[in-house]
Amino acid sequence: MALSTHTTSTGYLLPSIHSAPPFFTQQPNPTTLSIATEQWIRLILGYARHRKLFFLRVEDAETPGNDWDEVLRNERINRKLLPTYLSYILDTMVKKNLAAYEPPKQTRAVLLHWRLPEEWAEALHEWATSTGQLNSILTFYDITDPPLESSLTGIPIPLLRKAIAILAKTNRAQIITIADGEGVRFFTGNK
Amino acid sequence: MTLRRFTKSVDGSIPVQALLYNDEDLFTSQDGVGIYDGTQKSPAHQSGVVYATTHRLFYIDRQNELTCSFVLDLSHITQTEYYAGLFKSSAKVTLHLSGANASNGSVSSTPVVGSNDDTVETGFESWECQVCAYRNPPGLSPAAARICGLCGVPRSSMPEPVKLSVPSSNKSIRQEITSLSSSLPSSATASAPSVVSPRPVHVRKPSSIACPACTFLNHPSMRSCEICGTDLPRIQVGQPEMKSAPASRPTSPDTESDDEDGDGQTPKTRMMKLSFRKGGDKAFYAVLKRSLQGKAWEIKHPSGTPSNDTEFNRSGISGIIRTVEASAQNRDTHMFNAFQDLEALMVKAKDMVRLAADLNERLTASSTITSTALDTSRDSPTSSVTTLISPSHTEPEEATFIRSSLSQLGLQMTNTPVTLDMMKDERKWFEELAKELAGVLQGQGQSMSVGQKTTEGGMMKQRGIIALDEAWGGWNRARGVALIPPSTFLQVLPHLPAYTTPPITKRRFKSGLAVLHTPPYSSAAFAARLCGLLTLVGPKTTTEIAEEESMTVGLAGEMMGSVEETGDICRDDGSAAIREGREERGEIERVVGSGEQGLGEGMIVAGEVRWWPNLFLGYKWDGQLDYVSS
Repeated sequence: MALSTHTTSTGYLLPSIHSAPPFFTQQPNPTTLSIATEQWIRLILGYARHRKLFFLRVEDAETPGNDWDEVLRNERINRKLLPTYLSYILDTMVKKNLAAYEPPKQTRAVLLHWRLPEEWAEALHEWATSTGQLNSILTFYDITDPPLESSLTGIPIPLLRKAIAILAKTNRAQIITIADGEGVRFFTGNK
Repeated sequence: MTLRRFTKSVDGSIPVQALLYNDEDLFTSQDGVGIYDGTQKSPAHQSGVVYATTHRLFYIDRQNELTCSFVLDLSHITQTEYYAGLFKSSAKVTLHLSGANASNGSVSSTPVVGSNDDTVETGFESWECQVCAYRNPPGLSPAAARICGLCGVPRSSMPEPVKLSVPSSNKSIRQEITSLSSSLPSSATASAPSVVSPRPVHVRKPSSIACPACTFLNHPSMRSCEICGTDLPRIQVGQPEMKSAPASRPTSPDTESDDEDGDGQTPKTRMMKLSFRKGGDKAFYAVLKRSLQGKAWEIKHPSGTPSNDTEFNRSGISGIIRTVEASAQNRDTHMFNAFQDLEALMVKAKDMVRLAADLNERLTASSTITSTALDTSRDSPTSSVTTLISPSHTEPEEATFIRSSLSQLGLQMTNTPVTLDMMKDERKWFEELAKELAGVLQGQGQSMSVGQKTTEGGMMKQRGIIALDEAWGGWNRARGVALIPPSTFLQVLPHLPAYTTPPITKRRFKSGLAVLHTPPYSSAAFAARLCGLLTLVGPKTTTEIAEEESMTVGLAGEMMGSVEETGDICRDDGSAAIREGREERGEIERVVGSGEQGLGEGMIVAGEVRWWPNLFLGYKWDGQLDYVSS
């Protein structure tokens, strides 16, 4: 049976394995399962990167109609990813530090680290420098929703916080508590 | 003396034993006996020895053995009396005699031994039987000389053979027999057979013709019997007088005639006395009486045994001797009978063996028909199952008993179950059990292996794999009553591959299910076959696989599970399907038969697992390449 790739409507190329029904079944064989899960993770992260999706919830597999439909379901072969399997995948991702339970202490929603927080921190600092907003106080809102699109647009606050925390370690950012919100100031730090 | 007519002179110098006939036995003897002729002493016979035999009475004189000895036929004795002695009178035995025709020959005591060279009746020369051509030897008593020693046909008693027609010879024989077997008074006639009736040469018209079928006496001029219509025999010259009733006593001319008594005795009272001067009278008298009762001079049937001498057995030395003889004879008879039984048994044993084998075959044959009815899950043809027994039809206990007893007799039956007592040691027992189990399995396995070779594409109703419990149950059912416990069964299994072709080995699945299988069903072979099938045909469900491999669905599931563990296949769970309108997981409404393979993305059975070749192995990502956004 020949498997084919498929390009989603949003322009994402799905791998050929995605058109194989066994891909959507959690394999009992551990070896097979690990391989399959690996492919899933890669697919999910790739798709998240493509669509700039940060969160993945188990409910996304349970009910259609969300951003993940293109990946978690395959209408052509009449298969969908079962929530149990998705939960397993999330768990695996968290273990690999590719995701983090967000909010913490629960297992149904993760924050995808299709970009490591360190990378995010660098990107953040880059952006702050490139837009000339160093040494000025920025609110989170400024960062997540700037007038200009940037790669940081839409970054969830927790992730932003993490990135800032990382930058703070290296003295390149600083959290400032201001009225109704939080602000951050970026410095040019010498590493 | 006048009574001499009853006696014959003998040569007393010859021992008495030599004077006896061949069939005559000497019973007893008594010394010191005197003879009274009538009521007077016989001067020549006053001191001698008297011998009593079965047929005759001998008197051998002491002084003049040669001249004064005589012999008296016991057949002449009509009556005996016993007189016990009184004072000077010694004991006497009185013998009343009649029927004098025995005393032919010289009256005076001439030294003629058995003066009967002119007559044939005493039988002192050999004669040839007309019926069987047996040359009867001389030396038999007069009575015995009348019948042929070989065939028992009485002699027709004429020196020149007379040609008699068959029915008439029958009549003559019958008449002879009846006349001879008459009672004692007429024994005189018996002693003179040639004188009395059957004179076949008489030419006279018979007064009546006896029908050969119904013995009715017809008028002589009749041609066929009045009663039954049988043709009457032709009256020929020489037909003797017929008698249809038991023979009346033929007239014996001698008894009425010749009253030659010169000494005043009436014809009735011809008597002789034996005077026992030295005692021994009682014993002698008893023996004499026994002889007289025995009547050995009359024709007896060959099968007649001296059964009427039992009461004389216990008297005296002769009685003891006779008892010993009788017991020895009994022993011999018993041993002979026993050996006969043994020989008959040996002859029958072979028959028994054959019969038991035949019975065994029939038992198995009758039950194979029903045994296949019991096998619902098996599809093996009837011809391949040869040794199973259905307990509902036959008597397994009896069958097992027959077979085990046969094997204990040392006969090897091909279909018998092997039990421990048949074998010498346990290890050999295991191997024998393995052989038997191989036979039981191979009956199905044979056809299985044959079918397996062609199963690659075809569908044969055979199977090369069987669950252990099924095998055990089937084997025990075949054995009938002599069952094998599971532990023994497990011990037998290692020996099994040695006796089966292809070798049947045991395999245990993850779930604990143990099966016996032929090499085609080993893990690797099966996996390879399966992958080939899947890549060829496409994804298949477990039931489809089961159908393909003709094994039970559960077993197929086990096999698939084991193959999946090796990583050769991957599964596709039907619960991951999306249905139009119903998007909750696992809620499949429509269920269709699993045999339809053409509906790739169509409907599937709820929860049905489809098997794919393992797609994940060596999979290369061909999706969107990752990139790192800036």
